[in-house]
Amino acid sequence: MTTNQSSLSRRSFVKAAGATAAAALLADLGISASDARFALAADGGSTFTYAIAGDPGSNVNPVTTNDRFGLMTLKLVFSQLFTVRSDGYHWYLADSYEESEDHLEFTLHLHEGVKWTDGEPFTADDVVFTYQTIESNEDADAYSSLNYGDDGKVEVEAIDDLTVKFTFPFVNAAALEKLQGPDGVFIMPKHIYEGVSDFENNDVNANPVGCGAFTIAEYQVGSYLQFAANPDYFKGAPSVDNVVFQIITNESTGMQAIQTGEVDAWIATSEQVSQMDIQGNGLTVTPYSENRVAYITFNAQRVTDASLRKALFYSFDKKAIADAAVGNEDYYDLEYTFLPTTSEFYNPDAVEKYERDLDKAKQLLSEAGQTNPTFVVAYNGSDSLQTNACLLMQEQAAEAGITLDLRGLESAALSKAQRDASSEYDITFGGYIMGIDPDTYSSQFTGSSGNNYSHLDDATIDDLFEQGRVETDNAKRHDIYDQLQAAIQDAGAFYPLYSNDRLLVTGRRVGGIEDATLIPIYTFEDYDKLTVTD
Amino acid sequence: MAKYIARRLLIAIPLLLVITIIVFLLIHAAPYDAIDAMTNPKMSQETIDAIRARYGYDKPVWVQYFAWLGGILQGNFGYSIVSKTSISEQLAVRIPNTILLVLPSYLVAYVLAIVLGLVAGSHRGGKADHVIDGIASVLIAVPSFWLAMLLIFVFGYLLRWLPIVGMQTVGDGSFVDVLRHYILPFVTLTIAFLPDNLRYVRSSTITQITQDYVVVQQAFGAKRSEIMFRHVCRNVLGPILTRLGMALPMLVTGAIITETIFSWPGVGPYFMTAIKGMDYPVIMSILILSSALVILGNLLADVLNALADPRIRQGVIA
Repeated sequence: MTTNQSSLSRRSFVKAAGATAAAALLADLGISASDARFALAADGGSTFTYAIAGDPGSNVNPVTTNDRFGLMTLKLVFSQLFTVRSDGYHWYLADSYEESEDHLEFTLHLHEGVKWTDGEPFTADDVVFTYQTIESNEDADAYSSLNYGDDGKVEVEAIDDLTVKFTFPFVNAAALEKLQGPDGVFIMPKHIYEGVSDFENNDVNANPVGCGAFTIAEYQVGSYLQFAANPDYFKGAPSVDNVVFQIITNESTGMQAIQTGEVDAWIATSEQVSQMDIQGNGLTVTPYSENRVAYITFNAQRVTDASLRKALFYSFDKKAIADAAVGNEDYYDLEYTFLPTTSEFYNPDAVEKYERDLDKAKQLLSEAGQTNPTFVVAYNGSDSLQTNACLLMQEQAAEAGITLDLRGLESAALSKAQRDASSEYDITFGGYIMGIDPDTYSSQFTGSSGNNYSHLDDATIDDLFEQGRVETDNAKRHDIYDQLQAAIQDAGAFYPLYSNDRLLVTGRRVGGIEDATLIPIYTFEDYDKLTVTD
Repeated sequence: MAKYIARRLLIAIPLLLVITIIVFLLIHAAPYDAIDAMTNPKMSQETIDAIRARYGYDKPVWVQYFAWLGGILQGNFGYSIVSKTSISEQLAVRIPNTILLVLPSYLVAYVLAIVLGLVAGSHRGGKADHVIDGIASVLIAVPSFWLAMLLIFVFGYLLRWLPIVGMQTVGDGSFVDVLRHYILPFVTLTIAFLPDNLRYVRSSTITQITQDYVVVQQAFGAKRSEIMFRHVCRNVLGPILTRLGMALPMLVTGAIITETIFSWPGVGPYFMTAIKGMDYPVIMSILILSSALVILGNLLADVLNALADPRIRQGVIA
């Protein structure tokens, strides 16, 4: 990675400008135009430019990186053994696996002939090194998926150069998914990262050696990250020659940039889509699900009476709330359980849906001995979807005699409020993107977890998650998760709202989106399958 | 004079320390911190605690402050908590980018303000004054983000004349390309910097013109241009020079909004992201730089003033 610091040309630019003589400025710039510092690695060829809303920085690494743009960068440069998506497994550095009869051992067969971009061969040692490194770094993104503290950790050993065996300390129905951690585990080259102790700040991160479809060609601080196709990519050379992540933090600017064609892809809200001239500018809007569930949850330690909590739920008209938030019903699914509608275990028929019933709401209120309760609601004040949803919920709750005191917070403050059982908020607004297996949601609901934002300690829920985790028979698991979905709804602390699509807007040059497969967080599973025509 | 400057610089050191303490305490008084900004619902409590400990958040505020201060005194700005990148590396690229944008636009606005202000002030109540003062009044009320969006809409979207994102097109770093990217943010900033100085020059010109020495000059039959350039101008420029010195911190934080809108890779978007994420090492570094520039700017203003005005110079030395 090179960081262009055109200090000399800037200095001369500034000097010229100091004289405020436009002519001198032009002449000076003219000289620096031939300067190599301004001439970027113009590799030529096709370029796919994707506008992203933050700077991934130059310290992206396969151990601690956990932010969206950092993970997207990893996805291009490194490879995973496999990924787990709603449509099944996608195989990369591994080709297949075998599971032992006791469901504890998983033997993975690695892809032959893979080379790191420095020419060294990829082997099972790299896999073992990556997993062992993550298991010994508490601040690693995937640490908790592999290391269970007192309950043991996943053992990993190289059987031969192309075979790796993972051994779990206990049966886990979602074992393979756990091997990918919450966001995916990217295999790093042992010969490069060996000896690195600080994964965030070192000399290696700036010039990563991976075996992904792309390599980092150039990083311009605050401007863009340019990737060049890896012609030796083990799945075949990418269709595009370059991928550029163009950093645009201002949403309005992003909206204009996609319309003028300065960028080829951008993520919009449905309100922004309605403001754009989609047809006139030859744009395509592709909605796709990130399996993200938006919800509100009571802090059950503040509002202890379940009747009181349920009264509020009965005052809501979920469809109207989703319409107010998302705007277009093509872009969302209503959610009735803690699982996203795309999950094979999602079963809205097994649960109490809390359809709007004002009489019931009032009856529950009187049972709780209250007529006009007030709840303080914390939501992300800069999120227009949450703001619109909250305003409508406030209006609907008022019809049942419930006052919602809305407090728009910064996202970080909201995050803190959710984790803090003693916060001043009765209700928090949230959203999560978890994995495919229902067990990946356990951290959001089990009593002892720091991510259990309802702070409800319910033995039934904990027990059902435990049963589901160790059950390997799929039919029995369905039964368990039906009960679990019902139990979480019955507890009356968590109220799922909707699962809104992410809207990818692309310019007319872009093709191959279906082949590249739209997935949560990373946008594309295979950036190498995107095409760009001029 | 040198002694005076040295004394002023020495006084600046405790002042800077007090500023850092206040800012540090204010950041820590906020109801959340950088780690809250980084967490997501998938992170386990152990991971969050490990990250928190890694950045020293488990220690008392004063320990954190002295750890940070120790780094700064060794010339080490440290690392961003959120993006993990080296702050000095980022600033080394971003500050020149900001200066590249702010300095030319400020100087152009400054020269325009002096010329237009003198014209308006010397023709007080006349047509030229009405037009210039009118424009300045309108521009002072125009927020720069709105102006920037308007320019983007007209020249970037409707007419498609100019690019709207960043400093250069990827793969094309030619002079024309950089200049095309430069025009819109430059115009935005020039217009943003102009009205304030313009109105200042205009009002001090008006004040000077009503002074006795002008009446005396007129009585002696001096020409209007002679009075303007020889006498009024000199007296007006003194305070204006002071403003030039005080504009020094602008070089770091003068274009936060404009840079963010045009995705200009300067200090602005970096600072904005850091504030949102409570990334205190970044916030502190930028604030230290800009407060140092405020102090230096004030000093520079005094020195410039002293150089321009012999009366002050003598007072200073005395």
